[in-house]
Amino acid sequence: MDHKYINSMLSQMDKDLAAKGMSRREAMKLAGISGAGMFMGATNASANEKEEIKEVKSGVKGKIVIVGGGLAGMSTARRLLNFLDNPDITVIEPEALSVSYQPGQTLVGGGIWDIDDIRVKRDDYIPDGVKIIKEKVIDFHPQINELTTAEGTVVKYDYLVLATGLHLDFERIKGLENAGRAMSAGDNSKLLKAMGDDGICSIYTAEGAAATWTQMQKFIEKAKNKKDGEKVQFVFTHPNTPVKCGGAPKKILNLANARLKEAGARGNAELSFYPNGGVMFGVPQYHDAIVGQFKREGYKWYYRHNLIEVDKEKKIATFDSKWQEKGPFDPIMRDFEVVSKHEKVRVPYDFLHVTPPQLAPREIAESDLGSAKGWVPVNKETLQHIRYDNVFAIGDVAQVPMGKTGGSVRKQYKVLVTNLIARMEGKKLPAKYAGYTVCPLITTIGTVMLAEFNWTREPTPSFPLDPTVERWMWWLMKIHLLKPMTVVGMIQTGRA
Amino acid sequence: MKKIILSALVASVALVAADKTPIYKSGMLLPPQPKVIYEQQCAQCHGMDGKQTSFKGSSTVVYSPITGLNADALAKELKEYRGGIKSKDYGPLQKYGYGALMKTSLTDLSWEEIDSLSQWISNNLK
Repeated sequence: MDHKYINSMLSQMDKDLAAKGMSRREAMKLAGISGAGMFMGATNASANEKEEIKEVKSGVKGKIVIVGGGLAGMSTARRLLNFLDNPDITVIEPEALSVSYQPGQTLVGGGIWDIDDIRVKRDDYIPDGVKIIKEKVIDFHPQINELTTAEGTVVKYDYLVLATGLHLDFERIKGLENAGRAMSAGDNSKLLKAMGDDGICSIYTAEGAAATWTQMQKFIEKAKNKKDGEKVQFVFTHPNTPVKCGGAPKKILNLANARLKEAGARGNAELSFYPNGGVMFGVPQYHDAIVGQFKREGYKWYYRHNLIEVDKEKKIATFDSKWQEKGPFDPIMRDFEVVSKHEKVRVPYDFLHVTPPQLAPREIAESDLGSAKGWVPVNKETLQHIRYDNVFAIGDVAQVPMGKTGGSVRKQYKVLVTNLIARMEGKKLPAKYAGYTVCPLITTIGTVMLAEFNWTREPTPSFPLDPTVERWMWWLMKIHLLKPMTVVGMIQTGRA
Repeated sequence: MKKIILSALVASVALVAADKTPIYKSGMLLPPQPKVIYEQQCAQCHGMDGKQTSFKGSSTVVYSPITGLNADALAKELKEYRGGIKSKDYGPLQKYGYGALMKTSLTDLSWEEIDSLSQWISNNLK
């Protein structure tokens, strides 16, 4: 952790507070009352009671198998223990670092944290009473409530929770095929080898995040020593698939900007953002706030550009750019046609941050549990599978709009546990997920815009403050509170 | 369809076997097992020895034996056959009229699996 920043921020914070006649301690207390309690889970008793009407244990029996032991799977397992008298819970997870703190990868990429700050070992957080199978599931037979691992172990279940997460599909980008597919945790040496050591990086894996910081430092140094008036090109992408944490591509852009400024090299660098979409954020208020920030910081941005190819030798990224044009007059419709066009755009880069295309794991996509696109089709409110009523899905693999963040999981796992127990008791499913997602969007070192929203596409702030304003308080929360909340609150106690 | 039958076969084998039989499927981030990939994807047409040149005795379908190939050249060609995941990005190779068929067989394989498969074919099918 970089204490220099924390200290300079704390002094800025004290200055802000002194203007209002408050101390740091009082401010944190206020934050606790007004809403941080929702993040910490334990401090705000009344809010907790409202959320969990009763914490009465159910006597129902049944074998619950959870496939995937990441944040979603482990916290679901832990919470089920709180509500079951006779728990029979098995988690299947082959990766030893599966519960690593993924939201910290942006901070690792920006050099604020070290990779060891985000590594969390699965075996340290297996609660008593939960069985673990350290194998990889490759075959699902939902018709007969059975699945098979690569080692050939056949596991029968009464209830199945799918929490496998998603795959990062670097392989789809021409020039990076050797990278293959990856998951965020674990050994990604193959990926790093394919990315090389000349400016291509991605914070979407833990090891890749550490490598991103190495590359970033290298090219900031280059910008610093640049004297020929040319600018060092920093290019950032966002693909045409659903991604986990849609804010991360912008967070790393903002951190690179902050680091360039810190080195006094911003004037010799150009930062460009190439998103596949036509807006910065699905929620108009946040979109406007982000565009405002992009203008202020002097970034360039080009909508509807999807990265399809990387030429590592010549250092050129090729994007597929899409637009629509007014076509010929159609005499029958009595209007002009709209013609969709696209062309390849070649962009020279020095530093290229790749946000990989992402898809559901093939074992899910090819089984009867996956939809045509691969994700697990669930009722987006109850998280129950649309065809198999003893199957639930949570986290990145669930086909839930806007749901691929740790913040969503924090709401989803409570809904899932309540509904799963209701299903075991043969009752109607009472809990509903409203699509809550949170994106603590790092805008520079020291400030964060806390973008919270749900399916209404309206901001749904937890705090009585303008959510589109960047604040140091959210930075403190992102840096200090969210990791303990996730690791202790969710995985260790199942309550946050 | 082939894939469904195949996975059904693999599944039934796993169910019948009382002891644990490791199973392999391509494209699932498992360490590559080229021999199994060959059996699953290639042997039906090319035969286990790589010398089969027509499909189940049909004289209208003919192709070359795949013995004695160079691993690197083969890997390159298989990757071209496989193409990108979306063919509109960069299309599959159309060679000898078997492009579509080769693509179906290869589409699930990762680059790493194709490399190991090519090596295996080059080493074992003489």
